[in-house]
Amino acid sequence: MRPLLGGLLLFLILFLSADVLLKNDHIGLTPSHLSQTLFGNEEEYIEPITEHFLLELMHSDIFFMMMTLLTLSAVYARLCQNSTIRIVNINAVMISALLTILLLPLAYYVSTLFILPYIIAFYSWHILALFMAIASLYYLFIPQKSDF
Amino acid sequence: MHQSYRYAIMYFTIFSTLLLLSGAVLFVSKLGVSYESIELFYLGSTEQFCQPKSNFGLLETALPHFGAMGLLVFVIGHFLLFSPKQERQRAVLPVLVMFGAALLDIASGFIIVNGWTFFIWIKMAAFLTLQTVGMYLLYLVFKSTLMGIQKQALK
Repeated sequence: MRPLLGGLLLFLILFLSADVLLKNDHIGLTPSHLSQTLFGNEEEYIEPITEHFLLELMHSDIFFMMMTLLTLSAVYARLCQNSTIRIVNINAVMISALLTILLLPLAYYVSTLFILPYIIAFYSWHILALFMAIASLYYLFIPQKSDF
Repeated sequence: MHQSYRYAIMYFTIFSTLLLLSGAVLFVSKLGVSYESIELFYLGSTEQFCQPKSNFGLLETALPHFGAMGLLVFVIGHFLLFSPKQERQRAVLPVLVMFGAALLDIASGFIIVNGWTFFIWIKMAAFLTLQTVGMYLLYLVFKSTLMGIQKQALK
Protein backbone atom coordinates (compact mmCIF):
# COMPACT_ATOMS: atom_id res chain seq x y z
CA MET A 1 0.00 0.00 0.00
CA ARG A 2 2.88 2.38 0.78
CA PRO A 3 4.32 2.61 -2.75
CA LEU A 4 0.80 3.11 -4.13
CA LEU A 5 -0.07 5.97 -1.79
CA GLY A 6 3.44 7.39 -2.10
CA GLY A 7 3.09 7.54 -5.88
CA LEU A 8 -0.32 9.16 -5.64
CA LEU A 9 0.93 11.78 -3.18
CA LEU A 10 3.94 12.52 -5.37
CA PHE A 11 1.68 13.14 -8.34
CA LEU A 12 -0.64 15.33 -6.25
CA ILE A 13 2.36 17.43 -5.16
CA LEU A 14 3.43 17.76 -8.80
CA PHE A 15 -0.13 18.70 -9.84
CA LEU A 16 -0.41 21.39 -7.16
CA SER A 17 3.00 22.87 -8.03
CA ALA A 18 2.29 22.79 -11.77
CA ASP A 19 -1.12 24.41 -11.20
CA VAL A 20 0.51 27.38 -9.44
CA LEU A 21 3.08 27.80 -12.23
CA LEU A 22 0.50 27.47 -15.00
CA LYS A 23 -2.04 29.83 -13.42
CA ASN A 24 0.75 32.35 -12.81
CA ASP A 25 1.58 32.24 -16.52
CA HIS A 26 -2.02 31.96 -17.78
CA ILE A 27 -4.02 34.50 -15.77
CA GLY A 28 -1.44 35.89 -13.33
CA LEU A 29 -1.23 35.58 -9.57
CA THR A 30 -0.36 39.16 -8.70
CA PRO A 31 -3.10 41.81 -8.42
CA SER A 32 -1.75 43.84 -11.39
CA HIS A 33 -1.26 40.83 -13.69
CA LEU A 34 -4.66 39.30 -12.86
CA SER A 35 -6.41 42.65 -13.27
CA GLN A 36 -4.75 43.04 -16.68
CA THR A 37 -5.91 39.54 -17.70
CA LEU A 38 -9.51 40.09 -16.54
CA PHE A 39 -10.04 43.63 -17.82
CA GLY A 40 -7.32 44.11 -20.45
CA ASN A 41 -4.93 47.01 -20.84
CA GLU A 42 -5.45 49.59 -23.60
CA GLU A 43 -1.94 51.02 -23.31
CA GLU A 44 -0.35 47.63 -23.90
CA TYR A 45 -3.02 46.44 -26.38
CA ILE A 46 -4.06 43.55 -24.15
CA GLU A 47 -7.61 42.28 -24.72
CA PRO A 48 -9.73 41.37 -21.68
CA ILE A 49 -10.70 37.70 -21.33
CA THR A 50 -14.12 36.68 -22.61
CA GLU A 51 -16.96 35.41 -20.44
CA HIS A 52 -16.67 32.00 -22.12
CA PHE A 53 -12.97 31.76 -21.28
CA LEU A 54 -13.70 32.52 -17.62
CA LEU A 55 -16.57 30.00 -17.47
CA GLU A 56 -14.53 27.24 -19.13
CA LEU A 57 -11.58 27.93 -16.83
CA MET A 58 -13.82 27.72 -13.77
CA HIS A 59 -15.63 24.62 -15.01
CA SER A 60 -12.44 22.62 -15.51
CA ASP A 61 -10.86 24.05 -12.32
CA ILE A 62 -13.82 22.91 -10.21
CA PHE A 63 -13.48 19.35 -11.49
CA PHE A 64 -9.73 19.05 -10.92
CA MET A 65 -9.93 20.83 -7.56
CA MET A 66 -12.73 18.54 -6.41
CA MET A 67 -11.00 15.30 -7.41
CA THR A 68 -7.59 16.39 -6.08
CA LEU A 69 -8.95 17.49 -2.72
CA LEU A 70 -11.22 14.49 -2.30
CA THR A 71 -8.35 12.06 -2.96
CA LEU A 72 -5.92 14.01 -0.81
CA SER A 73 -8.41 14.28 2.07
CA ALA A 74 -9.14 10.56 1.92
CA VAL A 75 -5.41 9.75 2.22
CA TYR A 76 -4.75 12.42 4.86
CA ALA A 77 -7.78 11.35 6.93
CA ARG A 78 -6.39 7.81 7.16
CA LEU A 79 -2.80 8.78 7.92
CA CYS A 80 -3.04 11.79 10.25
CA GLN A 81 -3.59 10.53 13.80
CA ASN A 82 -4.60 13.83 15.44
CA SER A 83 -8.31 14.19 14.74
CA THR A 84 -8.52 17.92 15.58
CA ILE A 85 -5.68 18.87 13.22
CA ARG A 86 -7.15 16.53 10.59
CA ILE A 87 -10.63 18.10 10.68
CA VAL A 88 -9.30 21.69 10.84
CA ASN A 89 -6.97 21.12 7.85
CA ILE A 90 -9.61 19.40 5.71
CA ASN A 91 -12.17 22.12 6.43
CA ALA A 92 -9.64 24.93 5.85
CA VAL A 93 -8.41 23.56 2.50
CA MET A 94 -11.95 22.91 1.24
CA ILE A 95 -13.27 26.33 2.30
CA SER A 96 -10.34 28.20 0.75
CA ALA A 97 -10.75 26.19 -2.49
CA LEU A 98 -14.48 26.99 -2.55
CA LEU A 99 -13.62 30.66 -2.00
CA THR A 100 -11.38 30.73 -5.10
CA ILE A 101 -14.34 29.48 -7.17
CA LEU A 102 -16.59 32.21 -5.80
CA LEU A 103 -14.09 35.08 -5.75
CA LEU A 104 -12.90 34.91 -9.39
CA PRO A 105 -16.36 35.58 -10.92
CA LEU A 106 -16.95 38.21 -8.23
CA ALA A 107 -13.71 39.93 -9.31
CA TYR A 108 -14.76 39.74 -12.96
CA TYR A 109 -18.41 40.78 -12.64
CA VAL A 110 -18.66 42.82 -9.42
CA SER A 111 -15.51 44.59 -8.30
CA THR A 112 -11.72 44.57 -8.59
CA LEU A 113 -11.70 44.51 -4.78
CA PHE A 114 -12.13 40.73 -4.99
CA ILE A 115 -8.85 40.22 -6.89
CA LEU A 116 -6.59 40.22 -3.82
CA PRO A 117 -8.88 37.91 -1.77
CA TYR A 118 -8.93 35.54 -4.77
CA ILE A 119 -5.13 35.42 -4.88
CA ILE A 120 -4.95 34.88 -1.10
CA ALA A 121 -7.55 32.07 -1.28
CA PHE A 122 -5.74 30.50 -4.26
CA TYR A 123 -2.37 30.41 -2.47
CA SER A 124 -4.03 29.30 0.78
CA TRP A 125 -5.62 26.17 -0.65
CA HIS A 126 -2.48 25.26 -2.58
CA ILE A 127 -0.21 25.72 0.44
CA LEU A 128 -2.61 23.80 2.71
CA ALA A 129 -3.00 21.00 0.17
CA LEU A 130 0.78 20.80 -0.29
CA PHE A 131 1.19 20.68 3.48
CA MET A 132 -1.37 17.84 3.71
CA ALA A 133 0.35 15.91 0.93
CA ILE A 134 3.83 16.33 2.46
CA ALA A 135 2.50 15.50 5.95
CA SER A 136 0.85 12.35 4.52
CA LEU A 137 4.16 11.32 2.94
CA TYR A 138 5.83 11.87 6.32
CA TYR A 139 3.24 9.75 8.17
CA LEU A 140 3.51 7.12 5.45
CA PHE A 141 7.28 6.65 5.37
CA ILE A 142 8.54 7.79 8.79
CA PRO A 143 7.58 5.25 11.49
CA GLN A 144 5.20 6.78 14.06
CA LYS A 145 5.08 6.05 17.81
CA SER A 146 1.72 4.27 17.35
CA ASP A 147 3.40 1.84 14.92
CA PHE A 148 5.52 0.29 17.68
CA MET B 1 -15.71 5.76 8.44
CA HIS B 2 -13.58 8.68 9.69
CA GLN B 3 -15.59 11.76 10.65
CA SER B 4 -13.12 13.90 8.67
CA TYR B 5 -13.75 11.78 5.57
CA ARG B 6 -17.47 12.53 5.93
CA TYR B 7 -16.61 16.24 5.86
CA ALA B 8 -14.60 15.68 2.67
CA ILE B 9 -17.61 13.96 1.07
CA MET B 10 -19.87 16.85 2.08
CA TYR B 11 -17.52 19.32 0.43
CA PHE B 12 -17.38 17.02 -2.60
CA THR B 13 -21.17 17.36 -2.98
CA ILE B 14 -20.84 21.16 -2.86
CA PHE B 15 -18.08 21.10 -5.50
CA SER B 16 -20.13 18.74 -7.68
CA THR B 17 -23.16 21.02 -7.43
CA LEU B 18 -21.00 23.94 -8.54
CA LEU B 19 -19.64 21.79 -11.39
CA LEU B 20 -23.16 20.97 -12.60
CA LEU B 21 -24.22 24.62 -12.27
CA SER B 22 -21.20 25.91 -14.18
CA GLY B 23 -21.92 23.29 -16.86
CA ALA B 24 -25.49 24.56 -17.11
CA VAL B 25 -24.33 28.18 -17.40
CA LEU B 26 -21.85 27.19 -20.13
CA PHE B 27 -24.55 25.25 -22.00
CA VAL B 28 -26.96 28.19 -21.92
CA SER B 29 -24.36 30.79 -22.87
CA LYS B 30 -22.76 28.76 -25.68
CA LEU B 31 -25.57 26.69 -27.15
CA GLY B 32 -28.67 28.55 -25.93
CA VAL B 33 -31.93 26.93 -24.90
CA SER B 34 -33.88 26.86 -28.18
CA TYR B 35 -33.83 24.38 -31.06
CA GLU B 36 -32.65 27.13 -33.46
CA SER B 37 -29.75 28.30 -31.28
CA ILE B 38 -28.44 24.73 -30.83
CA GLU B 39 -28.80 24.10 -34.57
CA LEU B 40 -26.86 27.32 -35.24
CA PHE B 41 -24.11 26.28 -32.79
CA TYR B 42 -23.56 22.87 -34.43
CA LEU B 43 -24.41 23.44 -38.09
CA GLY B 44 -23.42 27.12 -38.44
CA SER B 45 -24.97 29.66 -40.78
CA THR B 46 -23.53 31.45 -43.81
CA GLU B 47 -25.91 34.39 -43.25
CA GLN B 48 -24.71 34.91 -39.69
CA PHE B 49 -21.04 34.15 -40.55
CA CYS B 50 -21.06 31.25 -38.12
CA GLN B 51 -18.80 28.25 -38.84
CA PRO B 52 -20.24 24.72 -38.46
CA LYS B 53 -18.57 22.43 -35.92
CA SER B 54 -16.33 19.63 -37.18
CA ASN B 55 -16.13 16.10 -35.78
CA PHE B 56 -12.58 16.70 -34.57
CA GLY B 57 -13.60 20.00 -32.99
CA LEU B 58 -16.29 18.18 -31.04
CA LEU B 59 -13.87 15.42 -30.10
CA GLU B 60 -11.68 17.97 -28.32
CA THR B 61 -14.57 18.77 -25.98
CA ALA B 62 -15.83 15.18 -25.80
CA LEU B 63 -12.48 13.68 -24.80
CA PRO B 64 -12.16 15.25 -21.32
CA HIS B 65 -15.90 14.85 -20.75
CA PHE B 66 -15.81 11.07 -21.34
CA GLY B 67 -13.25 10.74 -18.56
CA ALA B 68 -14.69 13.36 -16.23
CA MET B 69 -18.36 12.39 -16.47
CA GLY B 70 -17.66 8.67 -16.09
CA LEU B 71 -15.51 9.37 -13.05
CA LEU B 72 -18.02 11.80 -11.53
CA VAL B 73 -21.00 9.44 -11.84
CA PHE B 74 -18.89 6.55 -10.52
CA VAL B 75 -17.71 8.56 -7.48
CA ILE B 76 -21.24 9.80 -6.67
CA GLY B 77 -22.62 6.26 -7.05
CA HIS B 78 -19.83 4.80 -4.92
CA PHE B 79 -20.56 7.26 -2.09
CA LEU B 80 -24.15 6.04 -2.09
CA LEU B 81 -22.83 2.61 -1.04
CA PHE B 82 -22.29 4.13 2.41
CA SER B 83 -25.89 5.37 2.66
CA PRO B 84 -28.76 3.41 4.29
CA LYS B 85 -29.99 0.33 2.37
CA GLN B 86 -33.29 1.94 1.32
CA GLU B 87 -31.58 4.95 -0.26
CA ARG B 88 -28.94 2.73 -1.85
CA GLN B 89 -31.64 0.75 -3.64
CA ARG B 90 -33.41 3.98 -4.66
CA ALA B 91 -30.18 5.25 -6.24
CA VAL B 92 -29.43 2.34 -8.60
CA LEU B 93 -31.75 3.45 -11.39
CA PRO B 94 -30.77 7.18 -11.22
CA VAL B 95 -27.06 6.23 -11.41
CA LEU B 96 -27.70 4.16 -14.56
CA VAL B 97 -29.87 6.96 -16.00
CA MET B 98 -27.10 9.48 -15.30
CA PHE B 99 -24.52 7.33 -17.12
CA GLY B 100 -26.91 7.06 -20.09
CA ALA B 101 -27.77 10.77 -20.09
CA ALA B 102 -24.08 11.73 -19.95
CA LEU B 103 -23.30 9.45 -22.88
CA LEU B 104 -26.22 10.79 -24.94
CA ASP B 105 -25.32 14.38 -24.07
CA ILE B 106 -21.79 13.93 -25.42
CA ALA B 107 -22.66 11.70 -28.39
CA SER B 108 -25.63 13.72 -29.69
CA GLY B 109 -23.30 16.57 -30.77
CA PHE B 110 -21.59 14.22 -33.25
CA ILE B 111 -24.93 12.91 -34.51
CA ILE B 112 -26.32 16.44 -35.04
CA VAL B 113 -23.20 17.50 -36.98
CA ASN B 114 -23.62 14.48 -39.24
CA GLY B 115 -27.11 15.50 -40.29
CA TRP B 116 -29.52 13.99 -37.75
CA THR B 117 -31.02 17.27 -36.52
CA PHE B 118 -33.71 15.42 -34.55
CA PHE B 119 -30.97 14.75 -31.97
CA ILE B 120 -31.11 18.42 -30.97
CA TRP B 121 -34.21 17.49 -28.92
CA ILE B 122 -32.39 14.47 -27.50
CA LYS B 123 -29.39 16.63 -26.62
CA MET B 124 -31.67 19.02 -24.70
CA ALA B 125 -33.49 16.16 -22.95
CA ALA B 126 -30.21 14.39 -22.07
CA PHE B 127 -28.73 17.57 -20.63
CA LEU B 128 -31.82 18.29 -18.53
CA THR B 129 -31.89 14.70 -17.29
CA LEU B 130 -28.18 14.81 -16.44
CA GLN B 131 -28.63 17.99 -14.39
CA THR B 132 -31.80 16.87 -12.60
CA VAL B 133 -30.67 13.33 -11.79
CA GLY B 134 -27.21 14.61 -10.83
CA MET B 135 -28.72 17.08 -8.35
CA TYR B 136 -30.98 14.35 -6.93
CA LEU B 137 -28.06 11.94 -6.39
CA LEU B 138 -25.96 14.69 -4.83
CA TYR B 139 -28.86 15.46 -2.49
CA LEU B 140 -28.97 11.78 -1.44
CA VAL B 141 -25.21 11.73 -0.79
CA PHE B 142 -25.34 15.04 1.10
CA LYS B 143 -28.28 13.89 3.26
CA SER B 144 -26.76 10.53 4.21
CA THR B 145 -23.34 12.11 4.93
CA LEU B 146 -24.92 14.80 7.12
CA MET B 147 -26.85 12.11 9.01
CA GLY B 148 -23.58 10.22 9.52
CA ILE B 149 -21.86 13.34 10.90
CA GLN B 150 -24.76 14.03 13.28
CA LYS B 151 -24.89 10.40 14.49
CA GLN B 152 -21.14 10.41 15.15
CA ALA B 153 -21.39 13.73 17.02
CA LEU B 154 -24.15 12.34 19.28
CA LYS B 155 -22.04 9.30 20.27
